[in-house]
Amino acid sequence: MPDAQADRDAARAASADRARRPLLDVITQESLDEDYQHVAEQKRSAAAAGTAPTRRPRFVATAVVAAFGLLVTVAALQTSNASGVTSASREELQRQIKERGDEVGTLQEELVRQRARNIRLQDQLDTVSGAERTASKRVTRMGAVAGYTPVSGPGVVITVDDAPSGEAVRDEDLALLVNGLWEAGAEAISINGKRLTARSALRNAGAAINLNGPPPLSPPYVVSAIGDNGSLEADLLNTTTGLRFVNVADALGFPVTTKKVDNLDLPAATLRKPRSATVEGAQPPPAKKERPS
Amino acid sequence: MIAALGMLAGIILGIVFQPNVPHGLEPYLPIAVVAALDAVFGGLRAYLDGIFDDKVFVVSFVSNVVIAAGIVYLGDQLGVGEQLSTGVVVVLGIRIFSNVAAIRRHIFHA
Repeated sequence: MPDAQADRDAARAASADRARRPLLDVITQESLDEDYQHVAEQKRSAAAAGTAPTRRPRFVATAVVAAFGLLVTVAALQTSNASGVTSASREELQRQIKERGDEVGTLQEELVRQRARNIRLQDQLDTVSGAERTASKRVTRMGAVAGYTPVSGPGVVITVDDAPSGEAVRDEDLALLVNGLWEAGAEAISINGKRLTARSALRNAGAAINLNGPPPLSPPYVVSAIGDNGSLEADLLNTTTGLRFVNVADALGFPVTTKKVDNLDLPAATLRKPRSATVEGAQPPPAKKERPS
Repeated sequence: MIAALGMLAGIILGIVFQPNVPHGLEPYLPIAVVAALDAVFGGLRAYLDGIFDDKVFVVSFVSNVVIAAGIVYLGDQLGVGEQLSTGVVVVLGIRIFSNVAAIRRHIFHA
């Protein structure tokens, strides 16, 4: 193969020549890929030999150019996105770090302050809710005594009716009985399901007896009193007013029946707010409000 | 003409999808772009010289991009990534310049 031998020699000579030339010259002169030349020469020789060059479609080249466009676009976008970070100088970044650190410090102090405030407010809440519990217990207790809370317990039920002779029970007669029961140690009293309160009064309105407003009471009058089941009845007779009631009832012929009951349920009276009376020494409700610092 | 359309399509694709380059490949993107630029200008010059061949173009494009990125990667591993990328940019820049000069001669005959 003398031809191949000659080619190899030529190639060797060319590469030796290339190695002797300055690098920049090589770069400048061979800026176009040698392959284009080679392929063109091959095509020419093929054409000379008579075989027509086949024309390939340029899909691949187009695809590569499209890839190039994509590459350029992505690189440009990437650079413009990252410009905020890369363009910031070292000092600028350090300044930003310090600034943010200061911010964090401030926020942490704020956090500590708010936590302390939270604890303080929690303590206040505990105090206030304790006071609220005490007060509501007190309200319940006082309501039971004053007649504005339903109560239950052992007691006696005394039923008084008009006399068969036609003599009606009057307010003063019931008042004697009620006063006698109070004196004998009754803790809560209701008549015909209407609770006696600290403001209750028994009044005659014509034939009927009024208690705590309408509707009026009508006979028979069922007086329920909560108190010591065993002694209340006996104590009633030991009081002056109780004795007077018994005497009146005997004299006028009112039928009176007494029954001991183990569990009485007395309802609450509806609460009427005092309009004119003000409580002495009462403080206005606390309007203290913690302002956020 | 077809090539220009392809370029346009590539740019539109990039703008529409805004693909995220993996963080590890990010430093090699600019150098790959420069290498691709060299291949494209070489192809354009060959086209004007009348010796364009798409197989050569595709091979030179791909090998340019891969070799450029590979050199910079190697430099990064050796700790001379910046210097090597400068070298690559200088060589490719010279080639781009002389190719563009040839293109200019073709177009303006000057």
